[in-house]
Formats: sequence, structure tokens, C-alpha cells
Amino acid sequence: MEKVIIIRYAEIHLKGKNRGWFERVFAVNMEKSLKGIRHEIHRSSGRYLIENFNSVDTEVILERLKRVFGIHSFSVGFKVGADMDEIFTAAKDVSFDSGTFKVETHRADKKFRLNSMQISAEIGGRLLDSNKNIKVDVHNPKFIINIDLRENGTALVFNEFFKGSGGMPVGTAGKAMLLISGGIDSPVAGHMIAKRGMCVDCIHFHSYPYTNMQAKEKVIDLAKILSSYTCGTKLNIISVTHIQEEIHKKCNGDYMVTLLRRFMMRIAERIALKSGAQCLITGESIAQVASQTVEGITSSNSVVKTLPVMRPLCGFDKDEIIERSRAIGTYEKSIEPYEDCCTVFLPKHPITRPKLADVIEEENELDVEALIDEAMASLEVLNL
Amino acid sequence: MIYLDNAATTKPDAECLKRAEEYLLSKYYNPSALYAEGYNLHLELKRARNNVLSLIADEYNFSLVFTSCGTEADNQAVFCGAKRGNVVTTMGEHSAIYSAVNELKQRGIEVRFAELNGDGSVNCGSLLSLVDENTSLVSVIHVNNETGAVNDICAIAKSVKSKNGRTLFHSDGVQAFGKIAFRLSKDIDLYSVSAHKIGGIKGCGALFKRKNLAIKPFIYGGGQEQGLRSGTENVFGIKCFEFASLKKYENLGNAFKNVKRLNGTMRKRLDSGLFKILSSENSSPYILSVAATGLRGETVLHEADDSGLIIGTGSACSSNASKRYSRIILACGVEKETADGVLRISFSSENTVEEVEKAAEILNSIVKNRKQIMA
Repeated sequence: MEKVIIIRYAEIHLKGKNRGWFERVFAVNMEKSLKGIRHEIHRSSGRYLIENFNSVDTEVILERLKRVFGIHSFSVGFKVGADMDEIFTAAKDVSFDSGTFKVETHRADKKFRLNSMQISAEIGGRLLDSNKNIKVDVHNPKFIINIDLRENGTALVFNEFFKGSGGMPVGTAGKAMLLISGGIDSPVAGHMIAKRGMCVDCIHFHSYPYTNMQAKEKVIDLAKILSSYTCGTKLNIISVTHIQEEIHKKCNGDYMVTLLRRFMMRIAERIALKSGAQCLITGESIAQVASQTVEGITSSNSVVKTLPVMRPLCGFDKDEIIERSRAIGTYEKSIEPYEDCCTVFLPKHPITRPKLADVIEEENELDVEALIDEAMASLEVLNL
Repeated sequence: MIYLDNAATTKPDAECLKRAEEYLLSKYYNPSALYAEGYNLHLELKRARNNVLSLIADEYNFSLVFTSCGTEADNQAVFCGAKRGNVVTTMGEHSAIYSAVNELKQRGIEVRFAELNGDGSVNCGSLLSLVDENTSLVSVIHVNNETGAVNDICAIAKSVKSKNGRTLFHSDGVQAFGKIAFRLSKDIDLYSVSAHKIGGIKGCGALFKRKNLAIKPFIYGGGQEQGLRSGTENVFGIKCFEFASLKKYENLGNAFKNVKRLNGTMRKRLDSGLFKILSSENSSPYILSVAATGLRGETVLHEADDSGLIIGTGSACSSNASKRYSRIILACGVEKETADGVLRISFSSENTVEEVEKAAEILNSIVKNRKQIMA
């Protein structure tokens, strides 16, 4: 009797002729996520089995699989021979000590001497005989014993379905570039887009010496958490210190954030195009802060020339974002009290509804291309 | 690299480490063990305890409990010294006291904070007005860790005791021990010190305790340290501490003079148009608090680091207004714009005048340049 983990995939089954490719990427992603743990992954008609692992690793395998997009659900159970005694032993093992239950059988091997109903009835009867504390309730059972009789002469026996992350396997929908700060929102935005199958690289802007190394370390830690969902990520780090100093010197201070965001978007697009990313992702949510009014977004959006900008959090309230942030495990890191971008230059009354023409007029005071080139020279890339 | 952040920690004294090495490598036994090897270590610890104790106290009236750090010693004083009623402390305490008394508040004990004078020393009138018949503990920092202001704790303790003889008096002496000349008076019940601020290693501190003072343990277990701080003793750390403190006290006067000269040089060399000196002339010369008004201290700290100078700031960079400014500097009555630019320069007697001159030059140039950019 061998312990196995049964994995069912989500949307892949809707795919047509290219389904094989989706399945291959999915399997590679699972392999990557289980790196360092002894296991084997086998495919068997619409599902995958993880076998030959140490029983003590079960929890950690499940934790890692919860981060693999494309999984609809998974179960922990046993693989046994297609033999009623063996099936019963496994069923007894996954059965609860007390409560109501039912047995559900799925029989792919139509040549087996008993049909599904007969198998369920016999195993159910033997379970009742072996434990006086359990009772059958086919309508509202406390637990269900599932028996899956395969065509290859084996049977899978398990009791619970755990929900997977859903979505599509990362890498099946191209690559995106996430503008990541140290805050709560951007990692959530990256996670949502990765869920739809995109690889996600990150770009972070800092203003050393106005911001510190701890703030940068925090972003690295956040990107690492995100990378556990995205099968790795590349973090691009850029200094915008001089850009901020120039804005401070030459422009109306109230436009600091508006102008800075335009620089960030331009640099992000440049790096995205260089690294083959096909869209930008931001964690913007309408009206959350001064720069995220629709006018503010218009201003920063207008400098992005070729790539679409995804803003998956646009319609979310802060508490909804926080809830997701907790669920993906970035919240505690995000609320550490370091600044991601310097507030030394922040105006007391930032422009909340900038007119594009005014923004461009302010920006005309700056040598935009030269400042971007200079910022690009500060690029540091970390493979996480 | 010029190191002027000696109030944060000091470079361990290589000679003391060498002498203590045997307690790490060959005399590794448990001092509570019954065999001779263990027992001999117990005797060594006893000697270390007496040696450290006698540097600032008399062994007839005081005992000493080794702890894992100054913070632990402070916590032991607060949590084992405070009883129902109220606790009085100052607005100039290190976080080890400040956070601990705030926890007391959560546990239903009233905490009263005395105001500070402009240099960071406690306003004695304010402190005494807070002490009443229900005060179980008064804790006053000896040398303020941000401004270097020295509190006359013997006089303060005396006044406190004359107002309420049952009140326990504690002082955090982490920035005073091994640096300024001082002896514990009979009015002081508890006094915390730390090893790594005077050339010892991190992970070792001590709480001086007046004899016959019954306090409860802070950490329970096998009954080490007279039952007041259980846990197998950090023999290596304690021996390093012993050697380092003996060495410091052998040369206390000369070191003080030397550091006073370094402090004076820094005060003279810093451009008075760029920096405001916050520490008073009477402060401990080991700590000099200055402010680059209009800038953020942390920005200057990073640039200084890049230029080969290590100094400290009042507080870490934070957008959170309550954390952005040092609560101690604000309590001194310093306005926010100045509090934002606070730098803490702290010396050791190993620093040289040349280093300090060079440091002043680096700071002047950074702040001048940065002020131009920010203008």
C-alpha cells in the first residue's frame, strides 16, 4: 500500500489540440515546486499522481502544491492493487474513527468483477463491521471514502479533496513585468496575473540614500514569496534618486509623485521590452491614494507606448486586497515599517487630478531621456 | 573605515577575547556540574562576579546577576521590581525600559513619565512630583543613550527614597558603566549594565542588586545566578566581560580625558552653520548628538557610510510619523525639522583625533552638498 497524492487540473481540460503543451508546462511547474524533495510524478488520464515520496514530506508537498497554478484539487490517499482486500485495508486507513460516511466508487476498469455500486456496498459493509462508531449516511455524510479503480489494475483510495490554486500553469500565457513596491497591493496584483498563466518578473525603484537597505531587503523578500507561486522571478532594481532630485530642483513640487510615476512607467516598459515581457502590471486601485485617481493614472499611462498595463486591483477595496495579501502570505512582510520610496521630497498637497497638459509642461523642464539612461545604468538584477 | 557608533556596540577587545578563549575551547564544562572541572568553573564565575561587582559597588551591600544582555537586565528590574500601584520613569529611557513599562500598563499598572530637560536629562522636579505612597518602582536612565545627558542618579535616588522609602530605585547604566566614574549608593536597588558596550561580546549583561532585596526571578529553571536568572551560564561571555571591564576601569580616567578631547574636536570641527549640537557640555563625552536641520539623519548616515564613516541616527527612516522622529529627542523639546536630522556620534577611547577630524570633514561636505540639492 503506497501513499500517493492525486492531482486534478483546472482549466487545462478545456484546451483543444494544444492541451499536451499545457500539460507539459504544468508538469514542469510541479517538478520545479517540489525541487529538493524525493518524489515521482506520473500522469494518468486527466490527473497526476505524486508517488514514491517520504510520508513525512506529505505536508510540505501539499504546501508547495497549493502554490502551483493550474491545480483544481488534490487528495492524499493510497495506491493499491485492484483487489477487494487491499482496497478495504486502504479504506480502513483513510476512514475517520467515528461519524457518518458513504463510499463512492469510480470504475474505469469495466472488466472488474464487481460494478461501482457493488464495490461501494461491499467496502461500506466491511467498514461497518470493523468499526462500531461509524454509520452510513448517503445524503449528508461527515466523510466520503472514494475508490477510483484504474484501468491498469490499480485502485486509488482517498477521503478528502483539497482545493488547489486554480488558474492556468505559469508560463502558458507569456510574461509580465510587475512594478513592485514594498506595500500590500503590488504583490497581490502580481499573484493575480500569474494565476492566469503569466510568468512575472518584477521591477523595483529605490531612492538610496533617502531609503535604506532594509527597505530593499523587504522588497526582495516579497518578490521571493511571489516567486514561490511563479516558479521563480527576476527582480530588477533601479535607483530613481537623481530623478527625484531633478524634479525637486526644476519642477513644481506638488507634481513630484505624478512625474515620478511617469518615469517609473517608462523605465518599466523599457526593461520589459528588453526582457521579453509583454505587459506591465501595477497594484493601482482607483482612488486609493492621490496618484491613483483616474487623472493620475491617465498621466502615468500615457507614457507607456507599446505594452498594455494590467491593473487587476482597480476595482478592489483595501480590505479585499489585504484579505488576498494574507491568503498569499505577503501581508506580514508588506506591513514592515520601511519606506519603499522616499518621502523626503513628498509634497504636503500632491496634485490629485493632474491635467495631462500641465504635467507635460512641468516635465519639459527635465531632460527625460538622459535621466532614464542614467537610471538604467543603476540596474541591478536578482534571480529569485 | 572610521567607526563612530560606539554607543551601539564596541569592537570586542582582542586581548580579552584571547584570554577568555580557553573558556570556549577547553574549559567548556557546565559550571553547575558536580565534578571538579565543573566546580572549578563555578569558582571562576564567582571570581568574575566579584571582580565586576567591586568595580562600582561594595560586595557587602550588593550582589550581581549575570544576564544575557542589558535589555534582559532592564526587563528583570521592571517586571520583577514593579508591584501594584504605579511606576515612575522618564521620557528619556532606552526602549528596553520604555517598551517594558508600556507592557506593565497593559497589565493594569499605572505608568508615569517624567519630563526631560532640553539636553535629555530628567527634570527632577517633574520626576519627584510623580512619586507618591503607591509608587513601587522608579527607573531613571544613568546616561541617556541618544544625547549622552548624565542623570545624577545617586541624588535622585536619595530624593525618591525620602519621599517613599519603600519604592525600589533602578537605573539603566548601559551607557555609563566602564565609561564614567561612579559608584552605586545605598539608595540604588538595581542597576543594569551590558558587556558589548565596553569591549566585551554581545550576549552578556548584568543586573546589580542590593543585597537583601527580595525580587522574583525573571527566567525560571535550574536555579543558576542565585535563583534569579536560570539557564546555563555563558562562561565565555562572562569572562570576556570580566576582563574587558577590569581593563576599562584600570584606565577609566585617561580614557575619559581622551574621549572628552575627541568630543571637543568634533564639536569644534563640525560647521556650525550646518549642524546644531544637541548634547550639552555636561553630557557624557562618549555620546554627541547633533542635527543636520532640514535633512534626514538616515540620508546622511548612508552617505557617510559610503564615504567610510560609520555613525548612528536618532531613529530609523519611517513614513510612520510616530516612528520617524526619536521620541527622546522630541521630549527634549526639539522641533520636528531638527529632530528629523539627528545624528548620534559616539566615541571610544581607541578613536584618534585624526579620525575625528576626518569624520567632521566628511560630515560637513555631505551635509553641505545635500542641503544644496534639497534647497
